[in-house]
Amino acid sequence: MPASRPPRRSSSRKPRSTSQPRFGAYIREVRERLRKADPRFSLRQVALRIHVQPAYLSQVERGNVAPPSEVTIRRLAKDLGEDLDVLLALAGKVSDDLQEVIRRRPALFAELLRSLKGAPTHAVLRVVREVRDGKW
Amino acid sequence: MVTLEGDRLVFRFPDVHEQARLTVTFQRTLRIPDDDRHYPLPPGLGGFPLRHMDDYRGQLPKPWVERGGVLMPMHQAEAMWISFASHYPMAVTVAAGKVNAITGSALTRGLHRRPQNYLVTPDQPWLDGFCVEKGLIRQFVAMPLGQGYSVEEQVSRTAEHGGLQLIVRPLKAAAYRRLQRERNDIARRTAFDAYCLSSDMGLAPGGRMRQEVYEDPFETADWAQKHVSRCFITIVNGALWLPMTGEALPSVPPTASDYTAAGLPWFEYYNPGAVALPGSKTLAKVKSVKAMSGSKGVSALLENDSADVQRRIRIHPSRPRRVREGRS
Repeated sequence: MPASRPPRRSSSRKPRSTSQPRFGAYIREVRERLRKADPRFSLRQVALRIHVQPAYLSQVERGNVAPPSEVTIRRLAKDLGEDLDVLLALAGKVSDDLQEVIRRRPALFAELLRSLKGAPTHAVLRVVREVRDGKW
Repeated sequence: MVTLEGDRLVFRFPDVHEQARLTVTFQRTLRIPDDDRHYPLPPGLGGFPLRHMDDYRGQLPKPWVERGGVLMPMHQAEAMWISFASHYPMAVTVAAGKVNAITGSALTRGLHRRPQNYLVTPDQPWLDGFCVEKGLIRQFVAMPLGQGYSVEEQVSRTAEHGGLQLIVRPLKAAAYRRLQRERNDIARRTAFDAYCLSSDMGLAPGGRMRQEVYEDPFETADWAQKHVSRCFITIVNGALWLPMTGEALPSVPPTASDYTAAGLPWFEYYNPGAVALPGSKTLAKVKSVKAMSGSKGVSALLENDSADVQRRIRIHPSRPRRVREGRS
């Protein structure tokens, strides 16, 4: 007699990493805050604007499914007025353009990121946001 | 060190003091009428976008890239003011087309007292234009370089630089500590300003408004003159901004007469403890955009109706959370 299979408990996939519930909770918090001032930020309307089903966005917000694709996160960031890189990081993703940058010189960029890990904020700002002064 | 954070320029001097930080933004605003009246301060309608020059270097003229700094778009004949936010005192030299906006002389790197060629934050929270008389300025208005309107062309007789230039120096840490002991409430004062111009446009003098530029309350030796940060703000003609950056430009602000007719307020800044500088005789002689266009026989300003200002809000330094800053 074949061994009986354990019953299927749910079609929902469990979060794969600890970053995913944080992503969903963050999205929900931002959207709910916006919704208090503007009803256009209801779950349904946001889902329609970013081209996903409301039920799916609800699952994402509750952390029951993995975060959506980069394309959808881009739409979400734009719709909610959030920083794309922050949302991608919360989703445990690295954007395609950054992946391409790292792929070109992986060892160098790995070393750069590790060296900046403990650097003070002004040292990091100097690398990423400093305005170059030229000849004038 | 100068960094671009969102649409704000941030000047930091961590080697001098951890709080030595100045945030500068460039505010969109109404162009005040260029008539025989003296207007109060117009509102802020949100900051102009600022972008790293280096992010678009492949699409820009080589002389722009060489000067570094940032890009800022302005429509032709659009006005702006500079907002300075700091708790820590800073000496800020402001120039348009390398002509000092306070003295009307050529931009120099040093700080001078007679005449004073810089402003001091946080006592000076904003600068709306060229200092032409004591307590009176002519508004910053963007005009294409090469047509004779800009202050650079009228004073220096060249159309070489355009844009806006900022040079910032912090107070020495010892002077700051002394100041904190003397006036431990200074940190509550705030100011805002930031501005960048593009080589394609220069700043010309617009209508007159009441604004004082204040005398430096510190000693020359109090300034950390060896610690200097500067930024060239290239002003890009608004018509070129979309093809250059792929970004849409904010819409043109309402006219002064429409804004006033809607019952919206104008502003006055009153600092009873400060002494106003006398203004520049050189800048007092430059022609406004309206006067210059009249002498050319053209009409550079499509809208210049006088505004009958009814609502004025007086802002004091002790109440730094000004309402002047708006959202775009």
